[in-house]
Amino acid sequence: MSTETDDSGLLRSVFPPDQIDRLFRICDAHGWKLILAGAVFGALPPVLGLQSGYYMTVLSEMYLFAILALSWDIVGGQTGYPSFGNMAFFGIGAYTTAILVKDFAVAFPAAFVVAGLVATAFALVIGIIVLRLRGHYFAIATLGVLLAAQQVSRNLDITGGASGKILLETPSGTEFYYLFLGVLVAEAAVIYYLSGTRFGFVLNAIRDDEGKATAMGFNTTYYKTAAWMLAAMFTGFAGGAYSLFNTFIDPQTAYNGAWNVELIAMALLGGSGTVAGPIIGAFGLHTVIEVVETYAVGWQLVLLGLAVIVTVIVIPKGLVGSLREYASQMEYYKHGGMAAADDSADTDDSAAGGDSP
Amino acid sequence: MAATQFVVNGLLVGALFAAVAVGFALIWGVVDIINLAHGEMVMLGGYTSYWVLSLVTGNAEGSPLLFLATVPVAIGVLFVVGYALQRTLVSRVIGTDIFLTLLVTFGASIAIQQLALQAWSANPRSIRVAFADPSLTVAGVVVPKMKLVAFVGALVLTALLFVFLKQTRTGRAIRAVAQNPEAAALVGIDVEHTRAMTFGLSSAIAGGVGSFIAVILNIQPQMGLIYTLKSFVIVVFGGVGSIPGALVGGLLLGSVEELVAGFVSSQWTLAVSFSLLIVLLVVKPKGLFGEGVNE
Repeated sequence: MSTETDDSGLLRSVFPPDQIDRLFRICDAHGWKLILAGAVFGALPPVLGLQSGYYMTVLSEMYLFAILALSWDIVGGQTGYPSFGNMAFFGIGAYTTAILVKDFAVAFPAAFVVAGLVATAFALVIGIIVLRLRGHYFAIATLGVLLAAQQVSRNLDITGGASGKILLETPSGTEFYYLFLGVLVAEAAVIYYLSGTRFGFVLNAIRDDEGKATAMGFNTTYYKTAAWMLAAMFTGFAGGAYSLFNTFIDPQTAYNGAWNVELIAMALLGGSGTVAGPIIGAFGLHTVIEVVETYAVGWQLVLLGLAVIVTVIVIPKGLVGSLREYASQMEYYKHGGMAAADDSADTDDSAAGGDSP
Repeated sequence: MAATQFVVNGLLVGALFAAVAVGFALIWGVVDIINLAHGEMVMLGGYTSYWVLSLVTGNAEGSPLLFLATVPVAIGVLFVVGYALQRTLVSRVIGTDIFLTLLVTFGASIAIQQLALQAWSANPRSIRVAFADPSLTVAGVVVPKMKLVAFVGALVLTALLFVFLKQTRTGRAIRAVAQNPEAAALVGIDVEHTRAMTFGLSSAIAGGVGSFIAVILNIQPQMGLIYTLKSFVIVVFGGVGSIPGALVGGLLLGSVEELVAGFVSSQWTLAVSFSLLIVLLVVKPKGLFGEGVNE
């Protein structure tokens, strides 16, 4: 402990824990306003003249990944069931809109809604089976679901087989921008709302100790399945919009295993189990990947692998989680910290414990 | 007759799957880690053999004996890779959340696979061995000679591992750590070293199998994941920590896949084996060979 104090001396004077702590308190107290501000801020670029082109696409993709990372986090971070198969819902949503719009001439908005519902229904069926598994078994079973779904799409006629489907008549880039932004804001709002309700608390209880949660009388199967379906719905929406946004869909893009790792990395890097973490992680990591893709084509997945390793080893709690821990050192010092056992910590204690309310 | 042929093909390939799965099961049983980079060890083993042979003969073609001589090289190289992987990365996450251990090995898997892709391109490669033709024919069933060699090789590797674990001092240390790391440390076993040895052995056997796969099938940088997943199916099927279970599971998986490929289409093998896995997980989560702990 004492070496850690020495190392972070500079950090501590630049970003005092009590300031960070105060920032967290402000954020916690004004969650709704922050979501609203984010929505307004996100809505600005097209109004200010950014109508199409590279940056528009990159921003839309950032929202897309934020949706996926946040969805993953409902089950992976909040409930503690690490899914490696979330992209199955994405693929199912993507194929649903592609087939409805191209083969059945359904209007895109209707097809979009159906995509989310189909993904949710699929999640119900799969969830009943795989959510009985835990840990390693759950992770690999979901990966299996993803690969099996991919192979099914590759072999069916209606999905266009391995060559996929080309979709030409699609809405404009700006419409997709607002669509992705809208879904992201809606999802953030839903998760933020749920995190303060009984539902959210039960999910966290399942993560911390499922046995105890069951013993307290909660039907954990019901809660897990509901969370899984919620995640699938938003992932399905994202996929439903993506197939037309991308104007092309094939089994490789729709059930992209690398994306599945990418969104887990995003949630983890930002801080899983929080609302802001996955969004911050998605924006950050996608920016980095986009830069690498521009300047060193082909290396982005190497980078992704290394990013995952470094994140897990250096900040397993993610950015938000680590910051929160750092901020809560304040509490630790306020209540005496190591001062009781160690005299040298005394000055630190009084310096840091100054004026916070 | 077709069915017999498919089953024979399945058994021949299944032994290779089984040998890969045995290594996977070993890490799972001893270190309690699912090594998602296990398939990459198979890939690296295949490439090691390929490059050694290319270096010697110039075009990755050679006599059977020359090829067999590259197998120990692959085994040795992969032992070092596995040992280093455990020492540098995996040891840092042992005892933390399961999810973190999965992610570290998955991260390693992606990094290795993509580096291989950058270095050696996505082209499938294979080693050609001189006496591959003609195949043997036994009672109307065709048995390619190299597949038979690979089959025997995989069984030998599995048997060697089995004997190593039973007979040697290091093998006993590995089994002790599997049962109780703290007690093992108390009697003077270097737990970290033993775990790294386990990783090394597991990767070594995967690397050896990779050499055989380079001969009878082909190798390319992204082949790893399939082998990891097959190993998982096999281990779940046979029960964690059971080498005979993994052997039976591997032979069975090979047969099922060949039968599906033969009677339906090779496009469906993965979907079928994963559907089987999920059914099995739900119906009999402990695997067919019981409670699992390796003694």
